Amino acid sequence: MVKPVRFDESGDSEDLQALFDSIAAGGITPEPPPSAPDNAGDSDELQALFDSVAAHVESPPGETSERGPAAIGHDGDGEVFNRLGHMARQLHDSLRQLGYDKALEESARQIPDARQRLAYIVQMTEQAASKVLNAVDIAKPLQDGLLGQSEAMAGRWERMFANQLSVDEFKVLAADTRAFFQEAPGRLKETNRQLTDIVMAQDFQDLTGQVIRKVVDIVEGFETQLLQVLIEALPAERKAEVPAGLMNGPVISAEGRLDVVSTQSQVDELLESLGF
Amino acid sequence: MPADPSKIKFLVVDDFSTMRRIVRNLLKELGFTNVDEAEDGAVALQKLKAGGFDFVVTDWNMPNMDGLTLLQSVRADPALKHLPVLMITAEAKKENIIAAAQAGASGYIVKPFTAATLNEKLAKIFEKVGL
Repeated sequence: MVKPVRFDESGDSEDLQALFDSIAAGGITPEPPPSAPDNAGDSDELQALFDSVAAHVESPPGETSERGPAAIGHDGDGEVFNRLGHMARQLHDSLRQLGYDKALEESARQIPDARQRLAYIVQMTEQAASKVLNAVDIAKPLQDGLLGQSEAMAGRWERMFANQLSVDEFKVLAADTRAFFQEAPGRLKETNRQLTDIVMAQDFQDLTGQVIRKVVDIVEGFETQLLQVLIEALPAERKAEVPAGLMNGPVISAEGRLDVVSTQSQVDELLESLGF
Repeated sequence: MPADPSKIKFLVVDDFSTMRRIVRNLLKELGFTNVDEAEDGAVALQKLKAGGFDFVVTDWNMPNMDGLTLLQSVRADPALKHLPVLMITAEAKKENIIAAAQAGASGYIVKPFTAATLNEKLAKIFEKVGL
């Protein structure tokens, strides 16, 4: 059994809570709901919402949105709805005026396609990984067996040349050696077959590479259009915000970033500097 | 490293079966043949609570329950809090590493990693806990 380990319990306390609170607060800042362009034309519902909202508004829409969401906390509920209504209206109008509703619709249509392609990549890479690991599982024991037998055989031959073997022992050694050499090529050929399988399993790269390029094209198109819409519709002070969180996945490009580590030694240095 | 590595029971937690297999193979190379697997934190916690484990190697980003929550749950459980927990994750932000350390992680390895790194971190943890 394992001996009880002393862990620094003090780390699991206010510090951690504060860190989480700050992160949680950064992650769930209320954002204006991006209204999906479900149809190209003006909808009656939207019009009705806008009318009911606009009825309470004194200031023109442009001025309201320029004040930004920071002011929301100080206003009443009515004001919040007013502002949201104006934002939705503004987004809707911008989309139509600029022709983005059609473009976004087209992009949205491509998303299931992209999802399918990504699922294909997951499948292909998983297959390849399994193939390689299976090949290693087969080849490893063969290699281990040959290694063990070679070492044992070499030891016995050493004793033979040191004149430590009787004639009978030498006869057994000769027979064993002959059997070993008869058996070895078969195993080595099998290992070779597994190595070839490992090489062949890399064929996914070509296939997934092509699919990834297509998905990147789709995402790029979608990103460009969404970006345009956001630039049109977002108040200035929100444009600089960066999303924060603890589940970001692999860092694709660490260049110029101070908030990430790129080597294990940097991890170790950071932990050490903090006394862990 | 422990005298008889096959006596140490590992739980490898990762939502990708390939990564679980790779870690399992690396552990096997080091003589740790007693390895069980879980595909997320929730399944892992269930298995850990059933008892018998000596060491946890976990990913961070997983469905149902992520690795940090698993680590916090382990540390909050009087029966489990002594377990060494080594995180192997693609999360490379400094705040991730700090959060893991503050939550009581025994070690932190960023993906992609090498067999040598795993070996070194395991040795360090075993030395610390006296297994």
